[in-house]
Amino acid sequence: MRVNAEQAVFLELPPEAAFLSLAVSAAETAGKAWDLGPGRTPRLVLAVEEFFEYLRGNIPPGDTLKLSLRRRGPALRAEFRFRARSLDLRALNFAAGVAPEDGREMGLLLAARFTDRCRLERPGGDSFVLSAEVDRDYPQAEPLTQHPRLQPPYAPLDQPSGDALRHAAMLAAGRYPARLCPHGFFEPGRLLDMVAAGLYEVLVLADKAGRPAGIMLWRSPAGSLSVFFSGPYVLDEARDPAIARALTEGFLARVARTPAICAVSERPTGDLPAEFFEPLGSVGCTQGGERVEQQAFYRSLREDEGASVWAHPDLEPFLRREYERLAFVREILPVEADGGQPHSLLATDLDLRRGMAVLRPLLDGRDLAANLARHVEALGREGAPDIFLHLDLGQAWQAAMSPALLAAGFTPRLLLPHGATSDMVVFEHGDAAH
Amino acid sequence: MATPHTDPAAWSTSRLLDRIPAYVRAFECYVPSRPDPVLMRQYGLSHLYRLNNNENALGPPPLAREALAALESGRTAQYPSGDSYNLRQALAARFGKSPEQFLVGNGSTEIIAAVIKSFCGPGDALVTADQTFAVYEWVGRFSGLETRLVPLRNHALDPGALLEAVNERTKIVFLCNPNNPTGSWWNRDTLEAFLESLPADVVVVLDEAYREFTEDSRFPDGMEVMERHPNVLVFRTFSKMYGLAGLRVGYLCGGQELVDVVRRCHIVYSVNVAGQMAAEAALADDAGHIAATRAMVAGARDFLRDAFDSLGLEHVGGIGNFIMVRTAIPDTLLYRQLMRQGVMVRTMTAFRFPNWIRISLAQDEAMEAFVRAFRAVLDQG
Repeated sequence: MRVNAEQAVFLELPPEAAFLSLAVSAAETAGKAWDLGPGRTPRLVLAVEEFFEYLRGNIPPGDTLKLSLRRRGPALRAEFRFRARSLDLRALNFAAGVAPEDGREMGLLLAARFTDRCRLERPGGDSFVLSAEVDRDYPQAEPLTQHPRLQPPYAPLDQPSGDALRHAAMLAAGRYPARLCPHGFFEPGRLLDMVAAGLYEVLVLADKAGRPAGIMLWRSPAGSLSVFFSGPYVLDEARDPAIARALTEGFLARVARTPAICAVSERPTGDLPAEFFEPLGSVGCTQGGERVEQQAFYRSLREDEGASVWAHPDLEPFLRREYERLAFVREILPVEADGGQPHSLLATDLDLRRGMAVLRPLLDGRDLAANLARHVEALGREGAPDIFLHLDLGQAWQAAMSPALLAAGFTPRLLLPHGATSDMVVFEHGDAAH
Repeated sequence: MATPHTDPAAWSTSRLLDRIPAYVRAFECYVPSRPDPVLMRQYGLSHLYRLNNNENALGPPPLAREALAALESGRTAQYPSGDSYNLRQALAARFGKSPEQFLVGNGSTEIIAAVIKSFCGPGDALVTADQTFAVYEWVGRFSGLETRLVPLRNHALDPGALLEAVNERTKIVFLCNPNNPTGSWWNRDTLEAFLESLPADVVVVLDEAYREFTEDSRFPDGMEVMERHPNVLVFRTFSKMYGLAGLRVGYLCGGQELVDVVRRCHIVYSVNVAGQMAAEAALADDAGHIAATRAMVAGARDFLRDAFDSLGLEHVGGIGNFIMVRTAIPDTLLYRQLMRQGVMVRTMTAFRFPNWIRISLAQDEAMEAFVRAFRAVLDQG
């Protein structure tokens, strides 16, 4: 076992039942040591237990399971790294083996149900990472609904104090719909932990009297060429547009010389100055049982060099229309549906708090259509009505999947330049997508 | 316990990457624009007006052209002068200084790195503006130094704020005068007052890459300023006014003791034969070329200012062969749309001027092509 300074524990475990107790004990200890709390720690322990039990039967003989437990801001993350051969891959689908009619459930789904986020990734070759995160509990803060009339000039706070951040979050929560607010706005302690851990970067403006005038947040997921922003949140009674503009310009200045090559909206508010962004379109989201259209906005941070993408003829009209509209130069290379090996594999990002699942193809297979249908059914039953699939047009084998996606009820909604190894298409499932 | 199956190459690479300093890992690679033929093929163009790099559209002075035309191919088998001996002699004669006070590099950017390596170590800091030539900040950051960025005031370097940003760890202040990309500049009095207020043990890099574009008598002459302020190093280049950007020749001038320090960290033999020859020849015959360039730039600036005024657009320009304009659409989108019409400009997001573009000032044909394309894009809404 190894512990490092960034609050992480690493174990390498033989895939034998006798070592289950060691994995479970490590999860319990991490939960206790890092203040996950008595109510939440058992959820992490359950995920570790289910993952271990499941994986130990599905990795090649002689391999080990590498477990890390890590504190990431408000969450504790359990992560198994392992190798799987093609014969085993089918079982890694979240929806594999689900047979609701006879009541049996697969461990991965069970773990997903009790954690806040679950994810399967394939860093390369036959290496996989299966992870689950459980968030700490934070006290709720009452949103502030009285917004004072502020006085210009508005200036950014170099390093906003915890109190300034908390105050700004509560004011934003009192003004904007919940779907446009990060969870941390309602639990400011969570927001502070996320900022401290670098999971969010934040820009806070203050007015002449030092009162919070606006806030904007963004995150840069590891491995992504995009920054995803939320806001701008304007806290002035009169919604002074100068605040939104200053927040947006400040945000762009801060990300302009980073490795990010584009900025994409995650929760764009109505105060977003339109002149700084390009509208990509919209996707549907379920809020309180109702469907709402969530607009998406984009901006390149650099001069675009052009690129090549793969596309099946079924998707080409959508792509040509969007590339023309967005003025991107792209060479579209044709692919045909193949199917390749027998079994497909889909990675699933499941966020039950938001009722949302994102699928990403990891392997193509002749059972893709059936696999998609199983995922849609299983995820819907788990409480994720909003199901998206991200297709990487830089991968010919992924681009070849579009006929199966269309047949399974997915519709292309957004083209996201540089969203993956090349451009990415966001497909949405369901009638509302049409 | 069995040995885990891992990909040895991937594992080795991962270990290597783990050992890279965080400030290098976090650094963004600069991606230069692709060659014109590639861009023209991508955009389906028969002609491309490249207005993104502030190159001199008139090219180099006549004697430099002749020197390049006369360059024998056999000469390339020999190394160049390792320290640009003849060129330094010519520079010394031009400016009335010792050749030892000059250091010639493969463009000013190489000398920026040499200066930083010479004076800065772990824990040291640089100060410069946040909206200025990016290379000072880049080299500072990927050298692991704290790089303190000071906002402009009214599109100009703010002397008071720059002084406030200086502390006991500050080793170098970079001043771009005139400033790229705003064209704003400090006059003699402003620069003098700044240097008087700055601790004398802080090196000042006075980057005068565009100073030949002005004949305003109020503009300070770094070659004269450095005589009174031994902490000043003056940077100039043959890439702008002298039309030799493709050969990459820049130089610094300073007090001999300071220059000797920088020379220790400077790579010799970095300036090629053609660059040294052309630069030396350019100095010998520049009066007519400078006058013609100034006239072309002034005409182009007036033309674009009128066009931007007629469109009601905010623009900024001063000294230098460029002008900036602000539009109501993202500059990166505008770039793509202008490229479709065969005009290439510089987006300003990376200069922290989102929604601004910078246009190099060139001959009438290029300026007219730009305005046509620009109006067409804006008319599309």
